[in-house]
Amino acid sequence: MKLMNYKACVCNLCGTGCGQFLKTDGKKVFGVAPLIAHPVSKGKLCIRGWHSNELLSTNDRITQPMIRENGQLREASYDEAIALVVERMKQFDGAAGEIGILASARSSNEDGFTLGRLAHQVFGTRIQGIGAEAGHRKSMAALEHAFGYPGAHGSLTSIDKADYILVIGTDITRQNPIIGGNIHAAQRRGARVVTLSSSHTQIAKLSTRHFRQKPGTKGLLVNALAKALLAIRTANRERRADVDQMPGYPEYVASLRSISSVALERASGIRYEDIEEEAKFLEQARSIVFLFSSGISGLDRPTIDAITNLALLTDRMDHEDSAVIPVAGISNLQGSFDMGVSGEPGNSVFKALAEPDSPIRALFVVDHDDGIIRDKERISRLDFVAYACAYKNAFMDLAQVVFPLPAYNETDGTYTAADRRVQITHKNVDNPHGVLPGWALFQQIAGKMGQSWGYQDAAGVFADIAATVPGYADLSHAQLSKGFGQHWNPKAFPNSRQRKFNAINIEYWESPTTPEFPFALMIGKAQHYWHQNNLMRKTIVPRREYDQTLWLYPQGYIEISPEDAAHLKVRDKWLVNVCSSTGTCMKIAVKISPDVQNGTAYIPYFIKNMISDFLIPYENAYAAGEESVIPIKIQEA
Amino acid sequence: MSMYILSSHEIKQLAEELRASHDVYGPQVDPQTQQVFFDQLGDVDALNLEAPIPSMPVKEILFPQMEQVLKYKYDAETQNVEMAKPYVEKPKVLFGLRPCDLSGIQVLDRFFLGQEFVDDVYLTHRRQCLLISNTCLNPFPQCFCVCTHSGPDADEGYDLDLTKLQDGYLVKVGSEKGQALADAHDWKPAQAHHLSEQKAVVDRCIDLFPEMATDNKAWVARVMNRITTGFVKSETWEYIGDQCFECGACSFVCPTCSCFNVEDARMCDGECERLRTHDSCSFEGYARMAGDHNPRQPVEDRRNKRFFCKLSYPQSKKYLRPGCVGCGRCQWVCPGDIGLPNVVQYIRREITE
Ligand code: SF4
Ligand code: SF4
Ligand code: SF4
Ligand code: SF4
Repeated sequence: MKLMNYKACVCNLCGTGCGQFLKTDGKKVFGVAPLIAHPVSKGKLCIRGWHSNELLSTNDRITQPMIRENGQLREASYDEAIALVVERMKQFDGAAGEIGILASARSSNEDGFTLGRLAHQVFGTRIQGIGAEAGHRKSMAALEHAFGYPGAHGSLTSIDKADYILVIGTDITRQNPIIGGNIHAAQRRGARVVTLSSSHTQIAKLSTRHFRQKPGTKGLLVNALAKALLAIRTANRERRADVDQMPGYPEYVASLRSISSVALERASGIRYEDIEEEAKFLEQARSIVFLFSSGISGLDRPTIDAITNLALLTDRMDHEDSAVIPVAGISNLQGSFDMGVSGEPGNSVFKALAEPDSPIRALFVVDHDDGIIRDKERISRLDFVAYACAYKNAFMDLAQVVFPLPAYNETDGTYTAADRRVQITHKNVDNPHGVLPGWALFQQIAGKMGQSWGYQDAAGVFADIAATVPGYADLSHAQLSKGFGQHWNPKAFPNSRQRKFNAINIEYWESPTTPEFPFALMIGKAQHYWHQNNLMRKTIVPRREYDQTLWLYPQGYIEISPEDAAHLKVRDKWLVNVCSSTGTCMKIAVKISPDVQNGTAYIPYFIKNMISDFLIPYENAYAAGEESVIPIKIQEA
Repeated sequence: MSMYILSSHEIKQLAEELRASHDVYGPQVDPQTQQVFFDQLGDVDALNLEAPIPSMPVKEILFPQMEQVLKYKYDAETQNVEMAKPYVEKPKVLFGLRPCDLSGIQVLDRFFLGQEFVDDVYLTHRRQCLLISNTCLNPFPQCFCVCTHSGPDADEGYDLDLTKLQDGYLVKVGSEKGQALADAHDWKPAQAHHLSEQKAVVDRCIDLFPEMATDNKAWVARVMNRITTGFVKSETWEYIGDQCFECGACSFVCPTCSCFNVEDARMCDGECERLRTHDSCSFEGYARMAGDHNPRQPVEDRRNKRFFCKLSYPQSKKYLRPGCVGCGRCQWVCPGDIGLPNVVQYIRREITE
């Protein structure tokens, strides 16, 4: 007998994919309960998951189609709004690069797939991208080279059984707290948990060992660990795969051999002897899990290459409890890649928008976080912009046509978590305004442009996904409804049995700091870094938590170590002048944090807008996340 | 106090009969996930009195996670405010409460009804509530009510109390309301041996508790003493604080946590709604005061507040029992490892070291 008021679904607020119950009468969502039997979350949820009900009952929803008239958006019928989109889109030449698509990493696979069809088959364009993809493509490329398919190797559930877990550069207890909790549980049961991170994050505190390297040297450190591992290997060790036969091995080993322990220590601040000691543990482990952040604040390609290489070198990747997982901050980032709407080099919508002479004239956008709208200027000058989203947001101001979408629990849809686990959320609440699901909206637009898709429901769309998207062939809505999802199958990729080393370059990172600009400023780490806070701003309690930080530091803050603060003679919340080596300056409050290394400084991701002038010369550095460093000086204001 | 013996069938009949005039809530098992919820019964056949402890506390019914507590519309021109009370009183039966959850309701009663003010929303939900408790025949994982005097059987606060015995359910009457219900039926009176059988059932259940739970019994008192007198080492709180992921779960699932947040939100039609949501002292923003002063800023201090609330004498005096009823739920949901029983262990370790 089904429960009256509790419906199982999947949390849609990060790429962990935790199991969740919503307490609902089918009209409103009143509460949340964790799902105990879920293999990954095992009855736990983070602050975001626990407050999904607040997001799902916000009044900040788009409730019906709208059309801009005399500068103002006015309500319109679906027929009218769709007709306008069709009329305008027909005026542009998709094949000539005049139409761009900007997809969402939170959309279901069904919506992503049909948006791709709309773009490729109806609008005839390949200019596309996913809102938060920056970084994830690098993970996909590195993993595809190493393992033969673009996705995680292994499962998040491996954390519960592996002997050794290496966490590289992610503040995982903040960004994906339930994965963080599982790692903590693994540490308690005796797994060796090692964190590489320049700041003393919570997961660093909970690890067996924390390597606190200088900024910009994570990749070097991973390579050094590989070198040490290689050095202690004996000829007659027990082998699984023929690592030394894998393509790229000789070059890799030659690069590793060139690592100098003196230069390593100078660049990273870590002694090679400590690395050697760590390598012994790594060599003894039978199953190993690598976790690194992917997406908007992900690692750079050389660091990811170093990670996949080390993973292959351990020779433990065939163990069922081993894994290499790019941990995504957004729920369906992996699925959006799988659905083929990411912008690959050569057809990136971001590039089209950034290049002043690109032919782009129209944009079709789904659920874009307003905190990360790039090239706003250019978008506002396009001939036509259509926007579809469940929630009101600043992107509406840029659009001529706006469509509402259902929230994630108001329609059937599947989502692919960071470890390729595809899970289904069934509609458990009626959308009060009867809005069309994304796939149905795209189908109607396609229909009006002369293409009939014939989908009856989301399950039908999924059947098409199973038939076309590699790895999804064994899956269906019916089958996914039975348990807690299933990983898509890498064997669908012809090279999935082949392992290859990525090419690496040993570089000793030279800090760009100088005696005049002695601090290495990094962007990214933040107490309340939640999806750039676009969605969390629509909740009650999590928003208060975020505001709490802003109340205390209304001008934003820069985090420095207590010792540096003492040298600078500043106290917490005092304003300081921060000047960069390129000459930009800002006034900002100091936040003293014992978790920050001397000589480094952090600015949280979410205050980017507040300090955008300061960051203008560093747009690329900004996109590169924590691995890039801006030399600054800090002075009393 | 009278006692009766009822067959399983009669128990179901009672539930069915009550459904005519009441919203009946009881433990049910979700067929897909096997998870237990204490939820409204669409059908008495879903009532499962042998189901393990419900995953969410029964407070969800009386003090839900999120609730509209006021609706108002302000007309700026006429300066007129229209207000409406969106919550309504409904007769309810909470059928098959685990003793710990029953104790939880008593603590909430003392908080919402027994102090300086009476909370009208809670009172409205609580007023016409028939409480039927159900003795636990065996403890569930993480249960430790034996240490907190709240189980595995109920000793007060119920209208009717059930215990499953060989012959059927022993039904104890605990209030006039319960007696009235009994009087309206032709229930078979229980005999003396039923009572001793019940005692045996409870004793057997107590024996089944894991050693750690029973062993903690004496320790809970000592730990309470330590917490009250502030003698817990700061390293211990730090060790606990480092493991807190600030999710709030421990408060949301605790049958006795009563903190809430109130927020006014504008609805699309110009009306405003006032929402009350659960809150947690694990959040940084929870205790913020004006003037940028947060008395509990470091996370270890916020943890320490929660354990103070659950396990200290001043709080116990307020609730007339320890603030913790030993349900163990905070232990299941914590992504750290600092459910209350563990914290008792950590402090205990500190004392014995
Ligand atoms: S970790 Fe991610 S998926 Fe899990 S509850 Fe939190 S936001 Fe939701
Ligand atoms: S503190 Fe934990 S064990 Fe005690 S009553 Fe609350 S949830 Fe249950
Ligand atoms: S804590 Fe005690 S009363 Fe509560 S369910 Fe467990 S055994 Fe029963
Ligand atoms: S459940 Fe655990 S991690 Fe979450 S707030 Fe409570 S103590 Fe902290």
